[in-house]
Amino acid sequence: MKKSSIILIVIIAVAIAMILVIYTDSSTYSTFTEAKEKKTELYVVGVLNKEKDLIYDPVKDANLFSFYMYDNDSTECRVVFNGSKPQDIERSEQIVLTGKMEGNVFHASKILMKCPSKYNQDEVEVIEATTAYLAK
Amino acid sequence: MDVNYVGENLLPGKIGQFFVILSFGASLLSLISYFFAAHNAAKNQAGESTADKSWKTLGRIGFWLNALSILVIGSTLFYIIYNHLFEYHYAWAHSSRSLPTHYIISSFWEGQEGSFWLWMFWQVVLGSILVFKSRSWEAPVMTFVMLCQTFLACMLIGVEVFGSRIGSSPFILLRDAVQAPIFSNPNYLSMIADGRGLNALLQNYWMVIHPPTLFLGFASMIVPFAYAAAGLWQRRYKDWINASMPWALFAVMILGTGIIMGSFWAYEALNFGGFWAWDPVENVSIIPWLTLIAAVHVMLAYKHSGHAYFTATLLALVSFVLVIYASYLTRSGILGETSVHSFTSLGMSGQLIFFNFTFLVITIGLLVWRRKELPSTQKEEDIYSREFWLFIGALVLTVACVQMIATTSIPVFNTLFGTKVAPPVDPIIHYNKWQGAFAVVVLLLTASTQFLKYKRSDPKKFWPALIASFIVSLILAAVVVYLTKVYTNVMYVLITFTSIFCILANIRVLGDALKGKWRLAGSAVSHIGFALLVLGALVAAATNEVISVNESRYIGVQNFGKDGDKFTDPGENLFLTEGEPVQMGDYKITYVGDSVAAPNVYYHIKYEKIDEESGKVLESFILSPFAQNNPDMGGLIGTPATKHYVTHDIYTLITAASADSQLPTSNMQDSEKTGFEDYDEPATYQVSIGDTLRYRNGVFIIDGINKDAKLQNIPLDPKDILVGLKIKVISGDQKEYHVEPVFLLKEGNAYDFNKDVEEQGLRFRFTNIRPDQDKLEIMVYQKPLPEKKWIVFKAIKFPYINFFWCGTIIMTIGFIMAIYKRVKDRKSEDKIES
Repeated sequence: MKKSSIILIVIIAVAIAMILVIYTDSSTYSTFTEAKEKKTELYVVGVLNKEKDLIYDPVKDANLFSFYMYDNDSTECRVVFNGSKPQDIERSEQIVLTGKMEGNVFHASKILMKCPSKYNQDEVEVIEATTAYLAK
Repeated sequence: MDVNYVGENLLPGKIGQFFVILSFGASLLSLISYFFAAHNAAKNQAGESTADKSWKTLGRIGFWLNALSILVIGSTLFYIIYNHLFEYHYAWAHSSRSLPTHYIISSFWEGQEGSFWLWMFWQVVLGSILVFKSRSWEAPVMTFVMLCQTFLACMLIGVEVFGSRIGSSPFILLRDAVQAPIFSNPNYLSMIADGRGLNALLQNYWMVIHPPTLFLGFASMIVPFAYAAAGLWQRRYKDWINASMPWALFAVMILGTGIIMGSFWAYEALNFGGFWAWDPVENVSIIPWLTLIAAVHVMLAYKHSGHAYFTATLLALVSFVLVIYASYLTRSGILGETSVHSFTSLGMSGQLIFFNFTFLVITIGLLVWRRKELPSTQKEEDIYSREFWLFIGALVLTVACVQMIATTSIPVFNTLFGTKVAPPVDPIIHYNKWQGAFAVVVLLLTASTQFLKYKRSDPKKFWPALIASFIVSLILAAVVVYLTKVYTNVMYVLITFTSIFCILANIRVLGDALKGKWRLAGSAVSHIGFALLVLGALVAAATNEVISVNESRYIGVQNFGKDGDKFTDPGENLFLTEGEPVQMGDYKITYVGDSVAAPNVYYHIKYEKIDEESGKVLESFILSPFAQNNPDMGGLIGTPATKHYVTHDIYTLITAASADSQLPTSNMQDSEKTGFEDYDEPATYQVSIGDTLRYRNGVFIIDGINKDAKLQNIPLDPKDILVGLKIKVISGDQKEYHVEPVFLLKEGNAYDFNKDVEEQGLRFRFTNIRPDQDKLEIMVYQKPLPEKKWIVFKAIKFPYINFFWCGTIIMTIGFIMAIYKRVKDRKSEDKIES
């Protein structure tokens, strides 16, 4: 067999493996209800419940921030973030959480927010907060 | 729209807009002229006819006209920003009056329009070198450069054609860009006090230097593309490689430098907690870099052996297509849900897609068109040949890029196919898994290929040399692995070993260079730099640790059971109260206070390393990370401070702070003296001389009575009784204060005059004398303890990060050496030709 054919076969094999792994690594955008069933880490997209208090008291615990969020099915859930409160979350118009459900509380490891810019409706700033940087 | 607006300076905008249109027209003219010049030249090989010459002259005129327009656009826009002409949306949206000059320069390219301008500007600079230096290549190469320039120019037009807006002009007026009621007022300009300013996150000196470097890198990628495409078009299959080699190396060097600058910026100033986060924006800039590196290697292989022409051309072409793809991803807003710092959409997705497709079609079209003429050899490569392994290495790099593109493009696939697949939850783990393995293979190839020669090497010489270096590297790697503590993971060990192997193998080549074979010195130095960079990145990323772990509060409470579960691990933020030291790892840290240099607040954190036995302070330094409280931009934005050591860095970032230190503290002084509202409820005591009483922060002693007390401003009658009470206050830190509240009986009425000990927040009143009980009555007021200032911060230790920076510098030096050599090669070849 020619060397180039062998190389070609190897590359195709690696490519197939890659696609499979990317597929298994990829996650889904889901809801709190699904998160309860699956118990794995996933994304939940939703909006902040601005009527309930955002709780962050660094004097008591600098690594605990909790709030309530509605997911896309309008299910409300308490979210706990093991880190400091991301600035400007009050203004956010959409939140993408990464994390998993434990009991009735969603433990977020990452919070990605979309905030409307103060003046311009079609401009959007994206701010990210993360705690799980050293997730080994 | 019949309002006569007051105070607008409309002339610069009109000039600017005129030259925006002119730059588009001129580049189009230049494109067409160069196209015909090259087209005709290709037809009559015999020599340039006068018609070709006039086409070429016209092309040059177009080019210089375009260059002029770009310069005028740039200076006009700068004039607008520098003079704070907020009637222009760009100045208002990206700058403010308070910005220092270097940030005004930065605000120039904060927006997409400015960054497109930067790209065009660099293309003009590169184009003018090509016009002067590329001789017979000028017309075909400039055709492609001007095609790209035309596309970029149309991004700035900002004119509506058939109901859809083409491009976005930087000269658009604020009142046209934003709908607001104030624009019905002719005098609206006087109501706009200031612009929105530069995003606080971007207020960093890297914002001055990083974008220009990165865009020079992107812009210079067009040149290898243009040469490769021109080579196919003009059937000059072989000589484009020599001609474009220095350009390709230049592009790789500058783009690499730009990317690492971004990485250094992220490490030093942004709070993402690291130097590389596999963010889509980072990925899309490194992909074309890697493919062009692959292209350079295959081009070399072709030059020396005649193999792999197709791959060399394809990679050179595809690299630039990927540059455009990168700008599509970052500028179209499609990455909104996955990336931290992508640009927002300006509604130009369509244009960007068209731009991308045009270059993709050119790539595929040219290769298909010339497929039968492409040079090829029937002979198979020898396994013991350098070109074979160069080729394999390039393929591995390409496959690595395919992986990155596939994951980064998930949002694009979602848009295309209407799916809702989310990217991997932890991108860092996902990418490291793949790219770690690719790095091992690439480094191994980079190392072992150094022992091979082009065409054919003697296996009997190859294996002993390889094995000798291999064994030495194994020993060295064992030492490094032990010292850097990366033995926890097989992949870490493999990467460490292959990096060291690669360094050693290339040092060997460098040794030959010192003996006079300077030919490969540049590549050897770059390879060493690259291997060091990978090693530094690995060690820093694998062994960095958060040292601000909040142990006391968590261990034993939440951390029982599952180890390694990040939800139960201790938090990474540490709470510090002013003046209260906390032990953190090897350091005793104290928050010693803050200072304000508007708009930033600096929080000073003292680090002390104390010898446990003698109690001596071995080392002491203060880190002052700062934060900017900017409600418009999202509250507190922290900028870390880093203590650099040779072997590691200590990195400290403020994540929250008490609200106090964010407020100006000036208006507190006056209100204190007005009354008792600042004090807690008083305590009343019946005391005798010599009594000692406690207060919150120490004791006070009733020393005695002063019958000669005097009061200013109040005339005394001999019948009045005026008595002072001497009180000595001894605070907790053994300071003494003397204070004498006064009691007055005047015309049968009792008055008292309180006295304060400001430093201790104490106020004494001498309220009564009770001769019957032989007691004196005093009232003691204490101020509530001021709420101590606090901060929440995070500290990370990055070991051996200096390898990473060092590697970058060495790699860049290597590229410079290689470029120098290739330019010389080309000149000597030109001489032989002529």
